[in-house]
Amino acid sequence: MENNASKKTPIRADWWTKTISGLVLGFTLALAIAGLFAWTGPGGIAAPQKVQFVMWLITPVWMLILSLIYLVRNGVRALTGLLIANALAYALLFLVKT
Amino acid sequence: MKIRSDILRVYQSLHTWVGISAGLLLFIGFFAGALTMFKQPLDHWVSPPTPSPTMASAQHIDSLALQALAQHPAARKGFTMHLGNHDNNAAIMSWTAGRPGRELDFSAKQWTATLDETGILQAKEELPSILAQMIDMLHRTGGIPGEIGDEYLGGYLMGVAGILYFLALISGVILLLPTMVKDFFALRPGKNRKRFWLDAHNIIGITSLPYHIVISVTVIVFAFHDQFYDSLAEVVYKNQPMFGAPPAAAVKPYEARDMLPLTSILNKVKAEAGDSTISEIQFFGLESLRPRARVALVNPRYLVQGPEAGYLTLHPYTGAVINASMLPGKESTWSAIVGPFFSLHFGSYGGDMMRWVYFAFGLSGAFLFYSGNLLWLEKRRKVQRPNQALPVQTLSTRLMAAGTVGVCLGTVAGVCFTLVAGKLFAATAKNINFVYLFVYYSVFLGALAWAYLRGAARSSVDLLWLCVIAALSIPCSSAFMALQTTSNTNITGLGVELVAIAMALAFIYAARKTDKRIKDEAKDSVWSLQTSA
Repeated sequence: MENNASKKTPIRADWWTKTISGLVLGFTLALAIAGLFAWTGPGGIAAPQKVQFVMWLITPVWMLILSLIYLVRNGVRALTGLLIANALAYALLFLVKT
Repeated sequence: MKIRSDILRVYQSLHTWVGISAGLLLFIGFFAGALTMFKQPLDHWVSPPTPSPTMASAQHIDSLALQALAQHPAARKGFTMHLGNHDNNAAIMSWTAGRPGRELDFSAKQWTATLDETGILQAKEELPSILAQMIDMLHRTGGIPGEIGDEYLGGYLMGVAGILYFLALISGVILLLPTMVKDFFALRPGKNRKRFWLDAHNIIGITSLPYHIVISVTVIVFAFHDQFYDSLAEVVYKNQPMFGAPPAAAVKPYEARDMLPLTSILNKVKAEAGDSTISEIQFFGLESLRPRARVALVNPRYLVQGPEAGYLTLHPYTGAVINASMLPGKESTWSAIVGPFFSLHFGSYGGDMMRWVYFAFGLSGAFLFYSGNLLWLEKRRKVQRPNQALPVQTLSTRLMAAGTVGVCLGTVAGVCFTLVAGKLFAATAKNINFVYLFVYYSVFLGALAWAYLRGAARSSVDLLWLCVIAALSIPCSSAFMALQTTSNTNITGLGVELVAIAMALAFIYAARKTDKRIKDEAKDSVWSLQTSA
């Protein structure tokens, strides 16, 4: 976001696109990241009581995505970026599960 | 640190709008939350614990449980044995006839049983005052009624407020970064009152930032953990067991009379729990296939999972440990990582000192939202230009100003009067819990209505004086009740009265200042008498 191209065009607020992408896709992405941690993190999927930590992981990841999404130059970029990140994360999750 | 101006603009709007949408609900949450740090002293202040007969030998709880289980079939479903009683050493056993649930039941009767001097069971059914739980409910839901599914609507709204609150924190920090070094700890009183409020807002926000981040994240988790677990089960775990295998079920239901004597359960717990103190044991499904005894253990040296205690679950018939993962100081790795998230929200570590720190943090949080709203109003002020007519302040500022005054002061006055009602009527009312509800909502809604009817400026003075009266009526009602009862009841200290008097003095100061302000204030302020119609 700090590269030269973005310096010329100021950030567009695009409140609705960014907020809804951040809320919905940010949550699904956080869920996938928590899931990846559950499967590949220490102890693996079956570690006792780990699920609590995995659940707690969702909120900070989700909230960081949501609160930093407004740094993205415009709404469409935020949306596509999150879509790609989601696709990657779920593909990885699918891989580690099988 | 330099940040581009377009980023600052976006985050400025974000900060403003999330703050203004969530501020009032969060004010209620923080004020009531600060009080929940002292819910036991408040409960004792309202209805002083009746000194029970003292039959305090080590074995008396065995006899108490045996007699109660034999005589009261309802207790065989499950009961609680309270041990950590401050005023006497005798254990108290309690159970409810109905189904115990997560929700508040305002008219649930409760049985309590003790042993008298001769070792005979004394059981009585009464309607307990649930003031502490109701303050807790105000804290968790903001007092918003209604339910969705099994959960309170207010709880979900508080969760949404938690999300907005997190956004407000991050955006606030981003806004402050460029001028951090210059502005940090600069409190500039003087001519520019907006600058003063902004400095105060920033100092409180930055110095307690870690606390606020913890609170906002935990609020979101507490509100939505069911949905989070369901999503994880659906997407991540699928066929994997999430919570491990449940304890094996017995072949046939147990019978309460075969239960281990409580003393041997206690010995078992002491062997496991080290230097933690046992505060209570709760028995679930005593005559079912999977009976459990959940022991609450208090140890201020550790960060624990419950609001006050960590837990150890035992089998009440065999004494086998079912779950030791929440035992203070001996948690399993993952529980030990998760535990602090809970105790950092509840302030359940470090004992009474930390309680006061959390009380102060809670009030400072309430101040953060209140001052944030004031800044919003000041920013939207339409300034009167020289030689021009007085501008009309926008409807939204007038409504927001009245709402801020009404909600904030209404909550404070409502809670104070509810405490007083409890003090005066707890012993005589048919159902004190409905009295609490009635008093709180009439004061709160009355204050809100008054604020909108009279406008922000006039009503702020009126409502501040109402808060003075409300706070002063706390020590007055104590004195009144002390004169009424000739018996020398155990005085549990004057903490509640002293805090109330301090609050009253603060409100007197604020009321006098505000009264002066609304008369002197420039006519274009929303706080001026001239504009608040």
